[in-house]
Amino acid sequence: MDIKESQTVRNTLLQEIGKCRACRFCIDVCPAYQASEWVENMSPYGRLQILKYLINGTLDEDDPLIYSIYSCLQCGRCDRLCQAKGQNLDVSHLIRLGKYLLSQGLVKGSKNEKV
Amino acid sequence: MRRSKRFVSEVLSTLKDNIQRTGDPLGLKRVYWTGWAKGLNLQKGGETILLTARMYQMLPYIMQITGLVASAKPFLSRRGLGEIVNMGNRIMGDKIIRFKALGSRELRLKSHNVLKGIVSALGVIDQRPAYLYEDEPYSGVLLYDLGLDEYIEDHIKKVYSLFKTYKVKKIIGVDPHTVFMLKEIYPNYIDNYDIEVKHYLEILSENNQTLKKMCKKSLDKEFVIHDSCYLTRELGIVEQVREISSSLGMTIAEPENTKLDTACCGGPIEYAFRDLTEKVSETRIQELSAISKNIIVECPICLINLRKYEKEMGIKVWDIGELLFEALH
Repeated sequence: MDIKESQTVRNTLLQEIGKCRACRFCIDVCPAYQASEWVENMSPYGRLQILKYLINGTLDEDDPLIYSIYSCLQCGRCDRLCQAKGQNLDVSHLIRLGKYLLSQGLVKGSKNEKV
Repeated sequence: MRRSKRFVSEVLSTLKDNIQRTGDPLGLKRVYWTGWAKGLNLQKGGETILLTARMYQMLPYIMQITGLVASAKPFLSRRGLGEIVNMGNRIMGDKIIRFKALGSRELRLKSHNVLKGIVSALGVIDQRPAYLYEDEPYSGVLLYDLGLDEYIEDHIKKVYSLFKTYKVKKIIGVDPHTVFMLKEIYPNYIDNYDIEVKHYLEILSENNQTLKKMCKKSLDKEFVIHDSCYLTRELGIVEQVREISSSLGMTIAEPENTKLDTACCGGPIEYAFRDLTEKVSETRIQELSAISKNIIVECPICLINLRKYEKEMGIKVWDIGELLFEALH
């Protein structure tokens, strides 16, 4: 991923996450959130917030944040809920895009490797 | 959660390395995916092919790998040690996994019956797809799920070029993840993508009456359906499995979260976060077993994740392909 492409993905993510009305209805249907016994970082809403703060530099990539993002099951229940509530964000796709951004720094031998 | 960053890094790097080295997510070099087709006389290559993408055949090995990864997790998460474990994987992983998977005979037989059942069902409605045998590729879905888009393009182009070599025009997929990749993701990477992709349940449900007539025995039992996330929410295939099940004589019950609101089996993250996966699958199996002791699934990942509760809870998890095998043989 070159810098230009990476910047486009970051902008898309920030733009889309900005549309979230923080209604938090998506969190209750997330199987990972239920399994984590109600840790908001493990919910779709929590993951979007983490991505937002990782992209704008407020947070640094650390173990709990990586765990939150990569433990998303991509099951898409949050998408359906968001659609039903009228906002229609493709939440699981946005989280996958977040994985895409993070994976560049995590794969060994990648030019952006950070680990 | 401790050392997740390093651990995820090791998992991503191993997966990328496996696919680049062998084209297989498990990094297995020897062909392990053609045994089920022995004696079926499927034509090699043709305009319409059945694509298993190795998913069902992989199950005995996935069982071993997730166990090995869970026990190697403390090492994989440490600098230096992770590299040693990965080097071991490159040199010996293939042999160890294949040796350990020898004990999963029951699961191997189950996955073979699923695929044989699908081929038999397609046969009774006059659909005889070809098969690519040892040339059959993996779809690359795990690369996509984990955001390894940088490496997907190369893999997709290789797979597409293989299809073109065999002059493939139509693909019948057997698992939701592969069908999703071929239908929704491949066209983003291939200009003028011209391959028609269908899930076998769509084809069977279009010919449901013929299938009903050809059944040799009626499966007169009550079953509860566990819908697959990808099949329902991504591909919109919801009623087909119900129509086919009714034709086989089964009574279908619905669990608490069903159809487009189905709940996940926990499988997609089992490669790395086994504890969380187990909590998710436990919740789901309780919902399902409260309705019926016989559970139908339509996806290999759901099958492997939910069947581990069979002994403990006195339930039986069936793939719909397996039930087709039962009804047609």
